[in-house]
Amino acid sequence: MYYPSSASALICGGSFNPDPALPLTTSNMVKAPPGHFSILYFAAASTFTAKPSEHLPAAIKARHLFAVLESKYPGISEKVLSSCAVSVNVKYIDIEGDDAADLDLLIEEGDEVAIIPPVSSG
Amino acid sequence: MTATSVIELLRQQIESCEAQLRDLRQQLAEAEHDQQQEQTHDRLRHATDPHGDPLGHDMNFGIHDDFRSEVFAALSHVEADKPSAPRWPLDKSEYKRYGRQLIMPEIGLQGQLRLKNASVLIVGVGGLGCPAAAYLVGAGVGILGLIDGDTVEESNLHRQILHSTGRVGMTKVDSARIALNSLNPNVKLVAHTSHLTPESAIRILQLYDIILDCTDTPASRYLISDTCVLLGKPLVSASALRTEGQLMVLNNPPLRAGDSRGGPCYRCVFPKPPPPESVVTCGDGGILGPVVGVMGILQALEAIKLLTRNAQPPLTSEPMLAQPSDPPSLLIFSAYANPMFRSIRLRTRKPKCAACSAQASVTAKALESGSLDYVQFCGTVNPVDALSPSERISVDNYAKLRLAINPFTGMEPSKESHILVDVREKVQYDLCSLEGSINIPFSMVSHTSSHPYNEGNGRQQGAEEQTWVSSLRAYPDKPIVVICRRGNDSQITVRKMKELGLDNGGQRWIGDIKGGLKAWGQTVDRDFPDY
Repeated sequence: MYYPSSASALICGGSFNPDPALPLTTSNMVKAPPGHFSILYFAAASTFTAKPSEHLPAAIKARHLFAVLESKYPGISEKVLSSCAVSVNVKYIDIEGDDAADLDLLIEEGDEVAIIPPVSSG
Repeated sequence: MTATSVIELLRQQIESCEAQLRDLRQQLAEAEHDQQQEQTHDRLRHATDPHGDPLGHDMNFGIHDDFRSEVFAALSHVEADKPSAPRWPLDKSEYKRYGRQLIMPEIGLQGQLRLKNASVLIVGVGGLGCPAAAYLVGAGVGILGLIDGDTVEESNLHRQILHSTGRVGMTKVDSARIALNSLNPNVKLVAHTSHLTPESAIRILQLYDIILDCTDTPASRYLISDTCVLLGKPLVSASALRTEGQLMVLNNPPLRAGDSRGGPCYRCVFPKPPPPESVVTCGDGGILGPVVGVMGILQALEAIKLLTRNAQPPLTSEPMLAQPSDPPSLLIFSAYANPMFRSIRLRTRKPKCAACSAQASVTAKALESGSLDYVQFCGTVNPVDALSPSERISVDNYAKLRLAINPFTGMEPSKESHILVDVREKVQYDLCSLEGSINIPFSMVSHTSSHPYNEGNGRQQGAEEQTWVSSLRAYPDKPIVVICRRGNDSQITVRKMKELGLDNGGQRWIGDIKGGLKAWGQTVDRDFPDY
């Protein structure tokens, strides 16, 4: 009904999306280069990091995983990781709390880590 | 409301009612047809039952028509007094209907009888619940319960396959009953037409053998899982958003809390709920129909596997050993990834789980008394209230600003009077936008640090992220008006812009449009698409 043409012709007129063609999926993950492990980001984790996966330097202890990610993506611990499940080589690991069973597990070169936030909608 | 829109509205209502009537007539016709068939079938059975009709062979040609009906009446009377055991374990029509699964060793006669004697509850009759219910009803479960408090909306129809255009506005449970009854009238459908609550959960769930969590909030997921642990019921839980889904069979085997041989529960896998502001609904994040469909169908599959497990004795002469249940796993489906499925092996029950360990704090008494507040546990999001009234403009005033005199400056409208920034993501901006607006996606705004000169915080600023800031800086005099879909992200953006100093210490007005494009479509431009 009301379509004023007054406020047109402002600046640029374009969009600032950094890379609209980049889908946030884990498609065709390449093998980790020497000295690295692969990390897959699902659901909210891939939204936060704006990537489906990447390679990080190995080896690290599981207890340090979240700190590494926090330094790379400030705010991710509180907003995403605090409620996530984590797996190493498709096995769930327990790193929640000071006495968790897998805190000393070593994430080694070539391993595949997955960050799995709970998806609740349906 | 204008006369035209009233007429349009009435037309739509009539159309919807007529569609519902058509649906009901079809239901009625089908039901009458079924009844008629059943009666004919019964008559035929009485008339031709070889055990009940010893005279049949001899008398075929010998009895006069007048007597024949009397003889048959007398015979069927005798039969009615002494009903014989059915000859076959399933009805003839059931052999036909379930034939394709009956001939599979995984199901067989015993499996089908188990399904027939089973009761399954579907919590949530939406994108997951619809396909799950369709396949379970198709497979012939005895009783299917349906819980949902919602009504069918137009935006549900692309994925919630039991509902239909004509049933928009009907309760989801009633709509699903119509569809499921016409699919397989042998299944008894039980309707629960309000949302599950902690007070009602035990009472309802205890009526069923297996529970399917097809809901869409963290609070309902914890509630259903806790109740399943308390009642010793296996739980098939699934979820989906955008292009991804998750599936778990929980509390399987459903042993009592503290028994470490029991299967893990939802709390064992996800002990902490996600922060409420990070929870994305299908309405905000989007969902692809087949993605949620796949997950719902997998739930039906897992339920059928659970119900028919060990239905067939092994062929070997070894003593029969119950097959152990599958090790617990979390199946992740990513529609656009390769591979599409990843199965994560889960641990056993968590030693300190609040629901299923020996130290469990979740009890039936706490649940039923309402002292377990799941909504509080998962947190709630308050509506964003980041701006003062002077930083906000109503859609009506903004319409005036675009058409007439600026209420703030008293200036005549001009093409370049202000900058309108739309912060929806690009894909939404491309659907529809206000003329003259520019798009700066909120994801980019929120990833821009408010302290660009502080190098010490580790976050690298991409060159492109800076572009939007410098572009706005290049026009220091023009007021900036920010708009989004509903009026939340726009407020946060205004805050961020001021933190970045784009308001030149208060020299330039920056504010947002209250209620966003939704309000714009409702009150200013009714043709503006609502999606």
